Amino acid sequence: MTGRFRVLALLLTAAALQATVFDEVRIDGVSVEYLLLVSVLAGFHGGPERGATVAFLAGLLHDSVGSTPLGVHALVYAPMAAVAGHLSVRLADGARALALVGLTASVMVGVTAAAGVGALFGLHPVSGVDLVSTATIAALTTVVVAGPTSRVVRWAVTGGLPVDIDLNEGTSAERTFGR
Amino acid sequence: MAATRPTGGLRPTLTILIMGALTLLTLQYRGAEPLSAFQRGVRDVIEPLRTVTDRVVSPVRSVWNGLLDYDELRAENERLADELARMRGRRLTAEADGELLERLLSEVGIDFAELDTVVVRILGTPPGNFSTHMIEVDKGSDDGLAEGMPVVTGAGLVGRLESVDRARSVVRLAVHPEFRVGVRLVGSQDEGLARGGGRSGFLVIDAGVRADTVVEAGEVVVTSGGRSRFPADIPVGRVMDPGSGGDFQREILVDPSASLENLSFLNVLLVTEERTFDPLVLLDPGGRSR
Repeated sequence: MTGRFRVLALLLTAAALQATVFDEVRIDGVSVEYLLLVSVLAGFHGGPERGATVAFLAGLLHDSVGSTPLGVHALVYAPMAAVAGHLSVRLADGARALALVGLTASVMVGVTAAAGVGALFGLHPVSGVDLVSTATIAALTTVVVAGPTSRVVRWAVTGGLPVDIDLNEGTSAERTFGR
Repeated sequence: MAATRPTGGLRPTLTILIMGALTLLTLQYRGAEPLSAFQRGVRDVIEPLRTVTDRVVSPVRSVWNGLLDYDELRAENERLADELARMRGRRLTAEADGELLERLLSEVGIDFAELDTVVVRILGTPPGNFSTHMIEVDKGSDDGLAEGMPVVTGAGLVGRLESVDRARSVVRLAVHPEFRVGVRLVGSQDEGLARGGGRSGFLVIDAGVRADTVVEAGEVVVTSGGRSRFPADIPVGRVMDPGSGGDFQREILVDPSASLENLSFLNVLLVTEERTFDPLVLLDPGGRSR
C-alpha cells in the first residue's frame, strides 16, 4: 500500500471514528478531538510539511462530519501540525512525559484556536469558562487514546519508513510513544 | 543522534494551505453550493455507521446513565408526579372557566397544529464540540424536510432546520444568537423582531415594538407570519421583562414556551413556499398575514 493510500485510509477511519464512537462517548457533553490528535501526531511523526498537509485534510474532514463551515478546522490544524513537527525535532531523547504534556497542551490550544476562528467567522462556539472546561476535558480524554493512535499515524505518514533515523535506537517518536 | 528533517519547503506549503482554508471559508460564506454538497455527501456516507453506532451504544448509555443518575431520575420522577398533580388541578380550573379559555385560545389561534408535520426524534448534539444551541434529529431530505422549515412542539416554537442531509438534520434552536423570527404581541398586536438570547435561554425582542407600547409581563408572544418562513400564530413564549417603555433601545425578554428538557420528539412543519410581502397588510395591520 502506498503512502498516500495509507494516509487516505487513516483520515477516513479517523473521520468515521470522530463521527461515531467519539461522538457517542462524551464526558460532560465534550467529545474526544480525534482528528486534532491525528493532525498533531502527523506533524510529530511525519515532520512539519507532511504533517501540515495531512492536518489540512483532517481539518476539512472535521468540518464535513460536523456542522462547521469548510475551512475552520483546516485553518487551525495545519499550523498545529507544523508546530508539532518542529517541536518533535527538538524533543530530547526519552522525554515521554514531556511529549504527553505537549500533546495535552496542543489539543487545548487547538480547541481554543478553533473556537476563536469559529467566532471570527460568525459562529457562536462555547466561550469563557465553558471554553476552558471544554478544552481541558477534550485534551485529557484525547490523550487517553493517543498511544494506539500514535502507532497507526506513524505507520501511515512515514510509509513504513522512519523519517528521522537514530542509528542506535530508532526514531525519536518510537522512543517517545513506543514501537 | 537524530537527523533533522528537511523543512525548507514548509513556509510555502503552510502558506498555500492557510490560503486554501481561507478561500474555502470565503466561498462557503458566499454560498458556493458544491462545498455544501461535498459536506452533505461526506455526512451521508458516514450516516449508516453513525446509525449502527447509535444503536449499539444507546442501550449501554441508558444502563450507564441509570446507574450514575439513579437519584436524579428518582427526583425527576417525583417532580413530574407533582407537576402532573398540578396540571390536573389546572385542568379542573380551566373546565370551570371554559368560556374564558375558549376566548383566549381563539385570540392566540393555535392553528399551526393543522399544518402537515413530520415527527422527528432528537439524537443529541451534532458531532464536535462547537455546536452550541443546535441539536441533531433523525430525519432528513428523504422524509421531505428542507432547510429553514420551522420546528415546534405542542407548546410552541423550538427553532428551524439549519442543515438537512438525507437521513439527518440539524436544528438551530430559537435561543441561538443568530436566530431571528418575526413576532407579534397578542395584547397590543404590535409586531417586532426577536432574536435568540444565547446562554441566557431567553428570546429578545429588540426591534419593531414602539417605545410607548404598553407591554405586560406574562403577555403571550406568537410568530407574526408575513414574509417570514414561519407561519403566523405559533406560540413563541411569554413576556418575562417588558423593558423600559421610554428607552429608545427597548429590549423585551421573552421566556420560550417550548422547553427541550425531557423531550425526545419534535414536529417539523412542512412549510416550503417562500412567503411574499402582501401590501394589503399595511392597510389592515390588525389582520393576520399568512
